[in-house]
Order: sequence, then structure tokens, then C-alpha cells
Amino acid sequence: MTMNGRTSSALGSFLFCALVLVSIAVDASLRRAESAKSSHAVLVVAARLPSSDLAMSGGARWLRSPSLAEPSAAFDLGPAMLDPDPAGGLLDPPREEWKTETLRTPRGVFPSP
Amino acid sequence: MAHAMGSLWRRKAKNVALGGGLTFAVALVAAALFLSDALQAEAQRARGAMPDVTVEALVAGRPSTIPVASAEPFRAYPSVRSVVPRVWGYIFLPGALGNLTLVGTPSSAPALSEAHGELAGGRDLVAGAHEMIAGVGLTSLLGLKLGDQVGFPSRRPDASPLRLVGTFSSSVDLYTSDVVLCDEADARAILGLEEGQATDLAVWVTNPSESHVIATKITAKLPGSRVIEKQLLGRIYALTFGRRAGLVLAATVPALIALLVLAWDRASGLGPDEKREIGVLKAVGWSTTDVLNAKLLEAFLVSAMAASIGLALGYLWVFVLDAPGLRATLSGWSTLYPTVHLTPAVDLAELLALALAIVAPFVGLSIVPAWRAATMDPMEAMRG
Repeated sequence: MTMNGRTSSALGSFLFCALVLVSIAVDASLRRAESAKSSHAVLVVAARLPSSDLAMSGGARWLRSPSLAEPSAAFDLGPAMLDPDPAGGLLDPPREEWKTETLRTPRGVFPSP
Repeated sequence: MAHAMGSLWRRKAKNVALGGGLTFAVALVAAALFLSDALQAEAQRARGAMPDVTVEALVAGRPSTIPVASAEPFRAYPSVRSVVPRVWGYIFLPGALGNLTLVGTPSSAPALSEAHGELAGGRDLVAGAHEMIAGVGLTSLLGLKLGDQVGFPSRRPDASPLRLVGTFSSSVDLYTSDVVLCDEADARAILGLEEGQATDLAVWVTNPSESHVIATKITAKLPGSRVIEKQLLGRIYALTFGRRAGLVLAATVPALIALLVLAWDRASGLGPDEKREIGVLKAVGWSTTDVLNAKLLEAFLVSAMAASIGLALGYLWVFVLDAPGLRATLSGWSTLYPTVHLTPAVDLAELLALALAIVAPFVGLSIVPAWRAATMDPMEAMRG
């Protein structure tokens, strides 16, 4: 390979890197624009759902809507019990929020109407 | 630049192995980040439709049904716009080996239609007609078509079978894959929820910035209840998705460190050919700075190529191939898992930051070996 050829190859490599990054950014932007068209539909449907949590969790029912799940899930009751869903859910329970909430919410018996 | 390119070309086997390893590691890290960001953005997208405050009852530390009459005192608060008792719950379907989410539709809910993109086919529910709208995941799993009737397991004998009159559009599949929408009376019958009871209360306030004050007042009024604010949901999603992505990234850290150590080892161990080459360069007049620059440029070329190809592979893996392997590992094995394509949340600034985070340590690691090479005595270097 000649000197000029090597310089061109090096410059071409830099150009290739920049082109790859720009292509990803442009494709992502186009996909976002396409997805934005369905934003109204998402909001209308979400208004009828219990939460905006995604339907991506495991079959365990306390994982489907983690933001509305109980602070003490059923499987926490067994001493040293293993996670029944080995891969877990994509949504981990919001432990940090529960910590705050436990402090804010007084424990007691829910009154009858 | 020409020398750096030539040097890379002469040792192409070594550089391809090193760059290939780095590309693979970058692809894995980038895929985890892209997937996590995309899911977080999707969850945030629907957050706007959520009630400002959700109130649940806890009995013996577990969620329980809440009396509808509990909502009355809140309606009197000046900043509360509306309080809606909601009826929803989970049903285990032995046939599907999974739980579906059954949601009762209140009369005040906005209409769904095929024309506006909420439904893929069919129409909205007619109150009292024992009808349902279901997600694509559920209908395909049960082999349901529009007009089919399904009797869901219930402990109440008055629970009617439901006729499928609509299916959700694929654009909302991420939220509705396991959802069945039906009339509130049907949901109440199937879930075995008594009249006067609700699953939770949805509270909308006039000024969202006052939602925390309202939540505090509700907590004081209903001791033992669980009060969830919409404003906190954003943080919840960031925490939950971040934790999962963090676990994957933590698993890849040893591989990345091993690769960087390997890169250090390869870069610091100059072969006889390389030593002779540097000796010749210095003998023909190259300064220490010239040799140092050439060596750093080599490291930059390898890492920049690996970073850009790795990012591209990670992107294709998640958004074109739907992250085979990675998505299942992160998400578990729910039978009603949505298969919809995710929307990327990544932009050019984030891509450049990621590329820099890969290139900078790689080039940084090669500074000392490059300096050693550049300061060698030409005669000693040429002798090998």
C-alpha cells in the first residue's frame, strides 16, 4: 500500500466511524418520529389501565405493576425463599420508593366505612 | 497517519483480535444501555395519563379492596378534580400459563377506535353487552378472533362469558399485551369484587404540583392506606430499569477489565520487528513526539473502529433483531410477553459520550507503552 493510500485508509476509517455514529443517531431519530405518531393512542389507552407499567414482567402477579405492588410481596414471607422467577422481572420492585413510603405512611388497620 | 495505518496493517491479526474483543464487549454494554433507555422512555410516555394520586388499602400489610365510600371525603378537597374508584385485578389462566390483567372500564373513560390508532380491529365496548377488548399477546396465545366468546375463571356464578369485540393496536402492545378491558360490572363479577368495593381509587388534582399535599392529607385521613404519587413514578422507572441494566453492566465489567489488561499487555510487549521499526524511524530523523503520536494514533484507530462497530452491533441487536438472548435474560419468561419493536431513546450526544468512554481509556492505557517505545535508543532498537 502506498503512502497516499495509507493516509486515505486512515482518513476513511475516521470517516467510517463518524458515519456509523451519525447513521445510528439519524435512524433513532426517525424511529422516534414514527413512534411519536402513536403517542395519542398510548395516552388514551393508558388512561384506561391501572398503571403505566409495561407488560414486560414475569408471570408473577406482583411484578406486572411494580409501581402499584405491595411493599411486602407474598414471596418475601418465606424465610430465605429463592426468587420464584429466576430471571426476575424487567421491572424490579421500587425498593427506594418503598423505603420513603414506609416512613410516610403510618401503619394501622384500615377503617370500615 | 500513513505510518500508523501501515503499522496496523502489518500486524493485522493481532489488531483484529484485539479490536474484535473490544467490539464484542462494546456491543454487549451498548445493547444493555440502549434496551434500558428505550424501556424507560416507553414507560415515561404513558405516565402522563396516570392519575396524580393512587390510593390503595392495605390490610395486614397486603393490598386489599377499598370501600368506594372512602372516596367521598377527598372529593370535598378544593384542588381535587375527580376521584374514580377503579375495578381491576389479575386472573391466572391455566391455558396460557400466565396472569392476565382484567380492567373494568368506567363510563367516563375516553372512547377507543380503530381510526385513532388505539385498536387494530373491531370497536369499543358497549356497556352491559358483556364484551371485551384484549391485547394481541393474549388473543394470539388463546387463538381468539373477533366475535369469539371466552368464559374466564371466576368464583361467582353470575360472571358472564365475554365476547371479543376489539383488539389493541400493536403500537400500544407494550402496555396491553396481557390486558383484557371489559365493562365495570363484568370485571366486578369475574374478579368477585362486591358492590361498594374497588381495587383502588384514582385521584386527579387541578394543579399537579399540589399532588403531594393531597397525598399527605389522604394518608392522614386513611391511616394504613398506600398512597402513590404520579410524580414519583418517573423516579421509580429510573430506579427499576437502571437496576436491571446495572446488573448486566456489572456482569460485563470483568470482561472489559480483562480486555483492557490484555490490551495493555499486548501494547507494552513490543516484538523484535516493532523495535527494529522504531529504531529505523528514529535513525531516519523521527523525533520521540513523532513516534509517540504514531503509536497513539494506532490505539485511537483500533478503539474508534471497535467502538463505532460495537455501538452499531448493539443498536442492531436491540432495535432490529429485538435483542435475542438479552431481552429474555432481562425479562423472564412470561407467556404474555409483548413482541413489539422498541423505540430507541439514544441520540448523537449519548453515542459520542459512549464512544469517548471506550476510546479514552484505551488510548490512555497505550500512553506508557507508546512512551517506552518512543524513547528507545535507535541503535539498541535496531539490534532488536
